[in-house]
Amino acid sequence: MTGAVRDEHAAAPPNRDAGTPLDGVRVVELVDESAEYCGRMLAGLGADVVKVEPPEGAPSRRQGPFLDDEPGPDRSLAFWADNVGKRSVVVPDGPDGDDALRALVGAADVLVHTLRPAEAARRGLDHERLGPALPGLVVCAVTPFGHSGPWADYQADDLVLMALGGSMAACGYGPGPDGVYDTPPLAAYGEQAWRTASTYAAIAVLAALWWRDVGEGGRGQFIDVSAHECSASMTEWHCMTYLCSGSVFRRGAHPTLAAADGQQVAALNPDFLGPHVFANMLAMLEEEGVAGPLSDPAFADPGYRAGHYGEVWRAMKRLAAANDGERLYRLGQSAGLPWGVIRAPEEVADDAHLQARGHFVELDHPELGRAVTYPGAPFLAHGSPWRMDRRPPLLGEHTDQVAGEWGVRW
Amino acid sequence: MALEGVRILDFTRLGFGAQATLICGCLGAEVIRVESTTRPDPIRVMPPYVPEPGSHGEGFGAATLANAASAASPNRGGIFYKYNTGGKRSITVNARHPKGLSLLRDLVSVSDVVTESFAAGTLDRWGLGYLEQVRARPDIVYVSMCGFGHEGPDTAHVTMGPTAQALTGLTFMVGLPNRPPAGWSFSYLDHVGGYLGAVAVLAGLLHRARTGAGQHIDVSQLEPATALSGALFLDALVNGRPSRRPGFPAGNRRPTNTPGGAYRAAGDDRWVVISCRTDDQWRSLRAVMGDPPWAADERFSTMAGREEHAEELDGLIEQWTSQRDRYEAMELLQRAGVPAGVVQDAADRLERDPQLAARRHFTMLGNDEVAALPLEGMPVHMAGTPVDTGGRLRRGPPTLGQDTDAVLTELLGMKEREVEALRAEGALS
Repeated sequence: MTGAVRDEHAAAPPNRDAGTPLDGVRVVELVDESAEYCGRMLAGLGADVVKVEPPEGAPSRRQGPFLDDEPGPDRSLAFWADNVGKRSVVVPDGPDGDDALRALVGAADVLVHTLRPAEAARRGLDHERLGPALPGLVVCAVTPFGHSGPWADYQADDLVLMALGGSMAACGYGPGPDGVYDTPPLAAYGEQAWRTASTYAAIAVLAALWWRDVGEGGRGQFIDVSAHECSASMTEWHCMTYLCSGSVFRRGAHPTLAAADGQQVAALNPDFLGPHVFANMLAMLEEEGVAGPLSDPAFADPGYRAGHYGEVWRAMKRLAAANDGERLYRLGQSAGLPWGVIRAPEEVADDAHLQARGHFVELDHPELGRAVTYPGAPFLAHGSPWRMDRRPPLLGEHTDQVAGEWGVRW
Repeated sequence: MALEGVRILDFTRLGFGAQATLICGCLGAEVIRVESTTRPDPIRVMPPYVPEPGSHGEGFGAATLANAASAASPNRGGIFYKYNTGGKRSITVNARHPKGLSLLRDLVSVSDVVTESFAAGTLDRWGLGYLEQVRARPDIVYVSMCGFGHEGPDTAHVTMGPTAQALTGLTFMVGLPNRPPAGWSFSYLDHVGGYLGAVAVLAGLLHRARTGAGQHIDVSQLEPATALSGALFLDALVNGRPSRRPGFPAGNRRPTNTPGGAYRAAGDDRWVVISCRTDDQWRSLRAVMGDPPWAADERFSTMAGREEHAEELDGLIEQWTSQRDRYEAMELLQRAGVPAGVVQDAADRLERDPQLAARRHFTMLGNDEVAALPLEGMPVHMAGTPVDTGGRLRRGPPTLGQDTDAVLTELLGMKEREVEALRAEGALS
């Protein structure tokens, strides 16, 4: 074994020769927009992910926003975001297309689909049929409610799943002074239930490949992912709080500080991490000249502080009013406070720390004559770098190429 | 089970890291938590407390990491139970004791994976950094999970889930127009970061199987979040349309789901979500509401028209939903093919959701100190290799140090009296 030991603190360029965890693994993806994030992840790990599309393209190709707001199958930014790194194969509608699909699946290691049981059976892709014919195949179905249970045939988009899963009940603004909620529970943008389900699907596929190739299994299997169940398990302590106390957490926003430039900074109570943090914060506030009454030694006592928390909060507000958001964030962090400036999603692209970690990747879109910046690897693995060198595929771009390479004809 | 035979020496704590090894445990890996009696995992001693049978604990409102040390027992902290299913074992070892450190190196030598979620540099200071691990086990897969990761200018920054959520745009994406973001009330990124920690473990193992080489995989709480905003990131960078603009984020409105959003149902602060993505679904919704005359208004006949008059439409639909029980409304709508769902809280999921019950989402598990509770695991079903919330041992989360003797005798071949001697010397505290 060579090359495993490296100096951790030397910034090494990605080692292209190291190979990827999924070198040579072929994935066929037959999904709607709910599970495209799974294939994006498998592609990053090195799998050859082939997206099988009907002639008009996958549904996400018709979903906005579009490049320059002009619709077109190769212009959807929603499609770009979740299909980077994949190849696209178009198969015709009808029985010929189903034959083509089965030929591709027959040459693959993994099939990820979003078909309900009846539709999977109609297209000859139910595991009962595929299993015996293709014993090595891993089949992963990602559906709103899974392939069993009383809600198995119900309809859901991400919003419905965020509601049923519980995160929505816990997100939103607090009640008014009268205790009445005058705004609804809120779901985050970005299709988080779908992304959670897609991530769990990727984990399960990796585990199934491990069992097939390295563990005792020697064969593939069927994986049933319910986005509802995945969504239902993302709310941290809420179920435990109910089980332990009998009370249900009700929604309300976290405290924020408004900085001089209007930016908001998430600012947890400095005592949350322990009383020592207050001493660090006080030193910082004094340096910035806004400590005011907090310099009174009485505030060193956590009990006194808790009884006069308004003064602590007022000092933090004075600090906020004198600094812009980025600086306020860094001042808090310099005192060991877990503060963070609330950025819009794209503003993270300016983060020097993530830039230094080489996170953002420019991919060339030659047909547009331009490069586009994408969020890159979800972690740093110098021994097996995340693969991010292929822009999202044009519709049907790789139909002939894949047919040749995989040795399938239709 | 899928990961049978994989052994993980697990130094994670709190939510982010523990979520990763919970998943591995549910998939069958042997997860050995290395803990300390003097500095227990804060969530072992933080409220809410698992109650004595028949009594009630405190609410989460009182929880701070600071008052953690005041808990009566390291086995009552409720949040610990959320993140430590998967059949994890618990041993206590004093890493600052030379014999404790030596013991930990011996355990590394018989493990496939080391996981941890301390601040960057902590394991190095103990003498258990990656290079030390490699000395004990040349092909070790080492997955570190810390807020800002182990490389880069800001590694000293402190994060909780809400910090990372603010910095990566997730907080921003929850809110109503012309108000500060509402954000998330919980640490969504503890979960997402943990999922990516599990991906890292599996990626490291698969890569090792192909090449024979281990590696250090550096998971932060930031990178797993940057792609979660989907097209918003690209819309800003490619089209020059910033997310920070009037009217955005727009609560529960999404492109082409009108009518869509949370509607008041009967009862106090009870809500049902409806999300009509097609004209067919809108027609079905009208039929379920009994085809009221207002719904035939020409302005509502197309998606574009409905979007233009969304607020008026929402008010009219709420007149129907607010007369109905939220589950009844969901059932009526779903039977007609309209995407709809109750805004369920934790009690609803545990007690009223028939789908979670039918899928056995919760598993009753306890341990020597607490009664069985319905606990969560990895919510995926695998036909060939069962996913078990109780892990390979089919048991509940461990009490502190429950498995010290068993692990040291089984894995390192130590005699009981040797273990006792180490304990007497303070190496197992």
